[in-house]
Amino acid sequence: MNAFELSKQRVIDGREARKTAEMPRLSQDEKEALLSRYHPDLKEEAYTTIRIGANKGQKTVHEVVRLLEGESLLATNPPELSPEYQVDVLVIGGGGAGASAALMAEAAGAKVLMSTKLRLGDSNTVMAEGGMQVAISPEDSPVRHFLDTLKGGQMANDRTLLKILVEEGPANAKWLMDLGVMFDREEDGNLSIRSGGGSSLPRLLRCKDYTGLELMRVLKDAVLNEDIQILEFSPVIEFLTDGKGTCTGAVLKDLDTDKLIVVQAKTVILATGGIGRLHIQGFPTSNHYGATGDGLALSYRAGAALKFQDTFQYHPTGSIFPEAMAGLLVTEAIRSVGAQLLNVKGERFVYELETRDAVASAVIRECEEGRGIETPAGRKGVWLDMPLVDVLQGEGTLADHFPNMLRQFSRYDIDITKAPVLIYPTLHYQNGGVKIDVDGESSLKNLFVAGEASGGIHGRNRLMGNSLLDIVVYGRRAGVAAAKRASILNFSPLTLKHLEDFKTQQQAAGVVSETVSPILFPDYVNKG
Amino acid sequence: MIISRPVTITVAGEAHAVPGDITIIQAMWHLGRSMEKNIGCLGGACGACVVVTRLPGQMLPHTGLACQMMVVEGLNVSFLQGDPSKKTIAPLPLESPSRETVFQYYPETRRCVACGACTTACPQGIDVMAGVREMMIGDLAVVAERFTPCVSCGLCAAVCESRVRPHRMGLYARRLAGAFYPKKPLQLLNRIEEIASDKFRAEWEDVMQVAENV
Repeated sequence: MNAFELSKQRVIDGREARKTAEMPRLSQDEKEALLSRYHPDLKEEAYTTIRIGANKGQKTVHEVVRLLEGESLLATNPPELSPEYQVDVLVIGGGGAGASAALMAEAAGAKVLMSTKLRLGDSNTVMAEGGMQVAISPEDSPVRHFLDTLKGGQMANDRTLLKILVEEGPANAKWLMDLGVMFDREEDGNLSIRSGGGSSLPRLLRCKDYTGLELMRVLKDAVLNEDIQILEFSPVIEFLTDGKGTCTGAVLKDLDTDKLIVVQAKTVILATGGIGRLHIQGFPTSNHYGATGDGLALSYRAGAALKFQDTFQYHPTGSIFPEAMAGLLVTEAIRSVGAQLLNVKGERFVYELETRDAVASAVIRECEEGRGIETPAGRKGVWLDMPLVDVLQGEGTLADHFPNMLRQFSRYDIDITKAPVLIYPTLHYQNGGVKIDVDGESSLKNLFVAGEASGGIHGRNRLMGNSLLDIVVYGRRAGVAAAKRASILNFSPLTLKHLEDFKTQQQAAGVVSETVSPILFPDYVNKG
Repeated sequence: MIISRPVTITVAGEAHAVPGDITIIQAMWHLGRSMEKNIGCLGGACGACVVVTRLPGQMLPHTGLACQMMVVEGLNVSFLQGDPSKKTIAPLPLESPSRETVFQYYPETRRCVACGACTTACPQGIDVMAGVREMMIGDLAVVAERFTPCVSCGLCAAVCESRVRPHRMGLYARRLAGAFYPKKPLQLLNRIEEIASDKFRAEWEDVMQVAENV
């Protein structure tokens, strides 16, 4: 038996003895020490100073700075800016936030055009497994939800945005249910709730481990039922402004023909999601193929300010074996029902429901200190013992509650009801993003931002289940506000003057960029 | 580090050698295709990367999601253009739905000849045909449950000789079953009421005062 198999056997043999053992929680001091030593956000050499733009002088990772300081695709060859489409509201991005925004804007009477890089629904939303946090139980309250989230966010969250998030949660869950979203129920009809890391009470609504898929397919179907025009495979490559700090439209690129499409819009909603496919600090990612931080680059170049652009979530449990599954998420919900993390010796090393930043740091610590397990492809990780869930909660729990996970691993002949799997932190979420106000409006007038592309709500670390909530609450708010604003506006001039301003800033700061942003897709050719 | 043995696969009629331990999507990257279509979540949840594959000596092709399928020796791969079926504008009704509500928008459902091709084609392992037959009996909740894992890839519709669109019918059944669920979520409704009546005001005032100063 090789070292890999030996370690795995140790996990299986030790299961019975471990199953009810208590694992102490980290004290605040211990948690801070762990984060400062091992969390990727605090790795100094991964960071550099942003030299131009609204957040000039602040830091973020090299991969993001390259995008923020990058050149526009239109820098050298600007097109003629005569609009092919004139709409009240342009929604950019076809995930959960974009779809929620489009539905509300259309319902408010706006003429809505939606553009997406891939297809409507191809997004991170569709992959979200764990659930959506809403404080519904009698013991729970929005205030408690607020405090848990604030604590999880390292006390950095924008208080006003966060209060709205938790207070509007229940009404937004009802909105989804009225659209036909099927959350799991109890016998008496109440919504079934589950615990998540960093939450003091069970608060996660879910649809088995298909919660994001369920939300997205219903939202998508609802959008397709409405009079909303959709341009698929048409990413935005540049915003248009009036040259005086107001967003007036955008230039899209038709991926089929490479033709540019000019859109004049009274208001614009940006909902382009996150950055996983930038593989920050070389991490694998749980994100979909289009998560390349387009929204950050575009809005920054047009003058919008960012918030918490230096913090990212490395989800503790990304699969690392088999190689074909590297980066793919193993939902946190599996730990909330009892799955344990174990090092090469088969020993637990962290309370599994600490916040994601702490658990991820603990996994990295085990691997850096030689207590990790190496895969045949050379990745290092630790065990996640999922069969324990069936031992603790009863035979069949994994099959009933995590059918998606069960099937994904079974495709590679791994039976998660019998054997532990190997995991390592995976780049999961952009904690920060474009700075917004309570309506989702950015510092660039008439540009609204919703979902992962925005920043402030989650502080410096997002709690599980708060993202699905965020995309719906703030997607809808942005949709309502953008439609209302559009109703009192006329069309404004379309210019690329912000590119000239950007050029001036580049020259003044001595920035010579070799990156064209947005990059739209990761470059895996010959690296796959 | 173990280097896997290469395998030969055929894409659009041309044979290529690729590493043996990668998915079909990863093989496409290996072959220099950047993939801007037929690609999405890379986690088996979005249904964008539908493929038809065939192995040498196999009579029947196999369907699946390219991000979830490993390459094997002799594999012949063709990508499909996503979901080819038409979406019907099917709003939610005002009154409690019945199976007739579904048939109103998806009348072809009744043309099912029970050949089972849809079930064979489904990459999610759903017994799609059973779902279609259950719809004939008219229990929306049963149909809804059946289609829970559906990623709307449309393979079931693509292979149906009766032009049934099971995935769309199934999603509509789910939306009806969800929106008209027979039991009320009382805790949720109570909480909405409590928030509307400002029940937490005092607690908020305390908390916000402290929170602002941290």
